[in-house]
Amino acid sequence: MNLGAAEVRRAKLRFGLLTAAVSLLVFLVLLLTTLSNALIGSLTGALDALQADGLVYSTTARDNIVASRLDPATAQAVAAVPGVAAVGSVGTFTSRATTAGTTTDLQVFGFQPDAPGAPGGLSDGRLPAAPGEAAVGGGGVAIGDTVTLEPTGIPLTVVGLLRGAQFNALPTAYVDLATYEEAISAANPGLPFVPVNAVAFDVDDGADATSVAASVAGAVQGATGYTREQAVALIPGISSISQSFGILVGLTFIIGIVVIGFFFLILTVQKLRSFTLLRAIGAPTRSLAATVALQITLVVLAASVIAVGLTLLAVQGLNTGLPVSLSPVLIAGTVAAVLAFSLLAGLLSIRRIARIDPATAVGAR
Amino acid sequence: MTDAMTPGPTSEDPVLAATGSVPNGPGEPPALDATHHASALLRVSDVRKVYGEGHTEVVAVADATMAVDQGEFVALLGPSGSGKTTLISIVGGLLSPSGGTVTLGGSDVTGLSKKDLTAFRAERVGFVFQSANLVPFLTARENLLYVASLVKGTSRAQAQARADGLLEELGLGARAKNLPEQLSGGERQRVAIGRALMNDPDLVLVDEPTAALDTAMGRQVVELLRREIKGRGKTGIMVTHDLRMVEYTDRVFEILDGHLTHVEEPSALRH
Repeated sequence: MNLGAAEVRRAKLRFGLLTAAVSLLVFLVLLLTTLSNALIGSLTGALDALQADGLVYSTTARDNIVASRLDPATAQAVAAVPGVAAVGSVGTFTSRATTAGTTTDLQVFGFQPDAPGAPGGLSDGRLPAAPGEAAVGGGGVAIGDTVTLEPTGIPLTVVGLLRGAQFNALPTAYVDLATYEEAISAANPGLPFVPVNAVAFDVDDGADATSVAASVAGAVQGATGYTREQAVALIPGISSISQSFGILVGLTFIIGIVVIGFFFLILTVQKLRSFTLLRAIGAPTRSLAATVALQITLVVLAASVIAVGLTLLAVQGLNTGLPVSLSPVLIAGTVAAVLAFSLLAGLLSIRRIARIDPATAVGAR
Repeated sequence: MTDAMTPGPTSEDPVLAATGSVPNGPGEPPALDATHHASALLRVSDVRKVYGEGHTEVVAVADATMAVDQGEFVALLGPSGSGKTTLISIVGGLLSPSGGTVTLGGSDVTGLSKKDLTAFRAERVGFVFQSANLVPFLTARENLLYVASLVKGTSRAQAQARADGLLEELGLGARAKNLPEQLSGGERQRVAIGRALMNDPDLVLVDEPTAALDTAMGRQVVELLRREIKGRGKTGIMVTHDLRMVEYTDRVFEILDGHLTHVEEPSALRH
């Protein structure tokens, strides 16, 4: 005889409403987390997915790849740093671009194929191997489309699609370094040389990327080395954005858990007469506590299923311009955390049950 | 403390109000009566329950001694606040006494831990409370099955057969799937009787079973209680302040201001 399940079966409306309320809270947590991950991913994806152990910027860049300007020859100097196994120059700029009559902003990254600094996250097609080819993340383009850089008029043929490789929340095109140099030269005639923004490097097997990155400043004049993780974390504003979303998601989570705890406390208080009776006729506190725990588990799991469904619908329906996707790890983690903390909040109810004096069932107190 | 220490009759106590006090019949003191029941199943010896201390001390039960044989159905009669509910709560393992001992079948109940008292109540005592007190979200049958689940080793099939048998016997076969709210007051009290008997307890404690019933229904319920308790060889104690119900019992213990005063034959209390 399972008391908790029997009550849920008999009080469908009450538990249905409770499940609906909890599902909205879980939905809010999932959606906020998904959107914040998407936003942060679209700001940092390019560096996060970069195929390199570290990056070197100009010292004057103040940790910002966009502000960095390096002589292409810097790559050789970085290659000579002890522990560095391979290097590749990386350039980037923002441009207007037209695709099928639609003009939009586009972040362009130039890299050297078969060297550190190639993009990650290829979801379809291939990476560019020749001038005039591009792999694109975001922007709704398809393989075979032509993206024309403005005002230079350089056409790029889309040969690959990328996921999680955007930068600055813009559609991002990856081209070979020659195409990058052509675009920069066309837009800035008379440049003595085309600067690159960064030098990507891989370290030797067994070498520590952090140590190698730290040694760059001393070995290469006017340059500062970063591990890839450091470079991502130092993208301007990313720390504040992460923190703000963290607070938002955290508060929603805490409020949700407190509300769930109070819901079950109210249900417990409403059932005190029954619980007192059950204690009087010999029901142990632990079996009544298990009843509450089972009901919390049922409600949270049912609510999570609804919340995941709602979040999937929202992710498909929302047109944020960001590569939003619902991660199974995020779902499992959120549901597990909501369940664990809801059970903790359920201790309020269990504490109330433990305080029941069975003698009050017969009014002997 | 709801079991107030107000002596004498109350407005909710029409029979006692008419007589002015617990009838002072010719019965002997309970302590003396207990000596005639050497092989009693239930033995209450010098049980005392005191609430508070110093100026606020209230003696709810004062040195109560009583003995009840197996198969006996006795009444504990007294006005509201006389200490009768406190006394059966101690007997049923719901309250610990301030002094004295309670033994059931030779086992000392007063020496049990809280955990063991919980198991004792589930396995050896059946309770029938005022106003039935059924679990509202369980059907009549489930109310019985739940108590069976409190005793380890009871098989599901065994419990189901026993619950169905009891409900049939109590005239509730057709109401087994009904929730308490779908049952009449008398039917609810009959379900409570079935629940009390479900785990085949040694002792059945009944607290004011007619409080929420009219006289005719009250009589039916108490008659049924007597039949079930006696027929199954159980020991039963019914707390009541209704003199009309004592005729269904074998002996009547009377309590006033926490003192068990005397033991009567039910016939001695007829008016």
